[in-house]
Amino acid sequence: MEEYYLICEDSLEGIFSGVYDAYLMKMPHEQIHLCLGEDENLRLFAVYRECPVDEVKAAKVAKTVVRRFGQEAYLSLCRAMASPETDKAEAVYKTIVAGLSMKNPMEVMGNLANPYVYRVFELARFVAHEAHFHVEFVRFQELENEILYSVIGPKNNIITFIMPHFADRLPLENFIIHDEKRNIYAIHPAKGDWYLYSGGGEFPEDRLRCSQGEEHYSELFYSFFRSIAIRERENLLLQRNMLPIRYRKYMTEFLMNK
Amino acid sequence: MLKQVTGIQKEMQHLTVVPGTSPSTIQKPYIVDCKGQTDKMTLQRKLEILSDAAKYDVSCSSSGVGRKGDGTGIGNTSAAGICHSFSSDGRCISLLKILFTNECIYDCKYCINRRSNDVPRASFTPDEICELTIQFYRRNYIEGLFLSSGIIHSPTYTMELIYEAVYKLRTLYRFQGYIHVKAIPGADPLLIQRLGLLADRMSVNLELPTAEGLKTLAPNKHRKNILAPMRQIQQGIEQNKEEIVVYKHASSFVPAGQSTQMIVGATPESDYHLMMVAENLYKKFDLKRVYYSAFVNVNEDSELPALPGGPPLLREHRLYQADWLLRFYGFEAGELLSEEKPNFNVLLDPKADWALRHLEQFPVEVNRADYQTILRVPGIGVKSAQRIVRARRNGNLSFEDLKKIGVVLKRALYFITCNGRMMYNTKIEEDYITRNLISVKEKLPFDRDGMTYRQLSLFDDNMVYEWKQAAGG
Ligand code: SF4
Repeated sequence: MEEYYLICEDSLEGIFSGVYDAYLMKMPHEQIHLCLGEDENLRLFAVYRECPVDEVKAAKVAKTVVRRFGQEAYLSLCRAMASPETDKAEAVYKTIVAGLSMKNPMEVMGNLANPYVYRVFELARFVAHEAHFHVEFVRFQELENEILYSVIGPKNNIITFIMPHFADRLPLENFIIHDEKRNIYAIHPAKGDWYLYSGGGEFPEDRLRCSQGEEHYSELFYSFFRSIAIRERENLLLQRNMLPIRYRKYMTEFLMNK
Repeated sequence: MLKQVTGIQKEMQHLTVVPGTSPSTIQKPYIVDCKGQTDKMTLQRKLEILSDAAKYDVSCSSSGVGRKGDGTGIGNTSAAGICHSFSSDGRCISLLKILFTNECIYDCKYCINRRSNDVPRASFTPDEICELTIQFYRRNYIEGLFLSSGIIHSPTYTMELIYEAVYKLRTLYRFQGYIHVKAIPGADPLLIQRLGLLADRMSVNLELPTAEGLKTLAPNKHRKNILAPMRQIQQGIEQNKEEIVVYKHASSFVPAGQSTQMIVGATPESDYHLMMVAENLYKKFDLKRVYYSAFVNVNEDSELPALPGGPPLLREHRLYQADWLLRFYGFEAGELLSEEKPNFNVLLDPKADWALRHLEQFPVEVNRADYQTILRVPGIGVKSAQRIVRARRNGNLSFEDLKKIGVVLKRALYFITCNGRMMYNTKIEEDYITRNLISVKEKLPFDRDGMTYRQLSLFDDNMVYEWKQAAGG
């Protein structure tokens, strides 16, 4: 039996385009697999096929997913696709297949006994947690021109999941969140809509000078951070479990410590 | 979502916001120039004193109300609450928790701020409070403000100061983030009413579980005076709900509900007594949360217990676990404890303890038992129970599936069957199971060698967010 591997681009559009093409092949879904670009181990008896990004196809798949599975499941799929794991494309594809064959497709994400659904669930949960951690732990510094500036380094590509939160919260601020791992900037102009910027190099360091107030307020927060702890209850291990070390290199109160 | 992920790439020269240039600055109503004020004490020193004095109040939760920003100021709120940091005691920092002043005319024996203590005193001005809140909030340090106070001159006078700060913050500074304020017993009810229209949460601390305890340790406070504002807030919330139905734009009164706090271990009450009080507060006063605060002996007062082993943290932890059982697991206090068995088991969490005393109700069949029954199985938490009920609609679940769903099988295996079979051939006998459950080391929050909150046995899976709040948040 011939197996087909569709190689998709690592993006939401790329994977949804792959799903569309897989359906176009009109073959049993067990014979078709989605994978992401480069480092897939080549199999001897498999046919590999590049699958170009097609925004029209992707949008059609997205629409179908929302209509048949509902917003919650759609969000789970989007989150799973923000993961760096390479099996996500296959998991998303087969979850869609599984969902469409269910009596009530709205229940697809409840079907955790299905290994693909479970995988999507697992990836999405990690992404949701990491996004939530960022909503909590992102720290802005005020630059000289009153722009609020933050640097993050998440494992998953979570920036689009956290921007709506900050845009709603700080509507009158110019702010920028920089994902230094992927070199993506999310930019929110005061009173405007936010957007992403990538692939154009970084802002030069000398433009990122902090405002005068920055030092004052970060010191104030640092002293609050220390005085609010109850000495008799000290528990660094608990602190570490609640606030993983890897976030601390971006957080004002831990940087001041040094 | 699709559009946002798609190539919204701009050339650098076309970006609307670029560091090092001057992007259009929009007038921000919440940036107010306070430079005119001079004060002998620096803001830094005040903040140190007044946060240090506020830290024994446990509540730091920012939950209970989800509200979007209206675009004209700063801030929103999230129904589940958001923690922003964790201090070295592992407690969540969500709100800027401060006292307006630590001056106090009262002399509560357990309190660091009592009149008879010789400690440095300080007071904020309303503008200083607003400035700190806004500047911390902009940087995503905090979720909002938690304002409490010592009593200066009189309860009403103090309440007026708090009101002024909160009023400024909401109207002048247009702050729409979370605000929790203390209602001071004995203050003019009209002030409490007005403050309730600005705050998200209000709380009145019960302080001690019994009126007698209060009398000996807080001679200036009276149980009646504490319950009166609590009742007023409860009624205010109820009335407001009706008003909002009639007039859509009526402003909301304490939309995130009210909470309270009891000190644990300063007076001789049993756990049973504490749980009965808590249950009553939930049922009769509709409280959102009751917090338990392990007594820290700051004053070394002769009328207070010495506690050589430090604050009673294990006891506090058991109370929180039981509190969770009341609020989310459908338990009644009387099921967990009684006059004959007035205290929680040191070795077992209250849910496992209960299950072991009711073995006749087990094992339950996971593929058929109703939600409430599943919820009572040790090793199965709220999320797992919900997932089970949902997943089994698509076919019978196996033990393997349960594990994926987040059930802690090591604990649950004595209490469940899957498709009529138990996981192992095991004795259903109290002593035997007890020994086995105890040997699965319970992860405690203050166990210095290997605790993880995430693995907390009672709350099986990834209930970390709820835990953050329980952990003093
Ligand atoms: S009223 Fe009692 S508990 Fe409150 S600050 Fe004064 S002395 Fe402390």
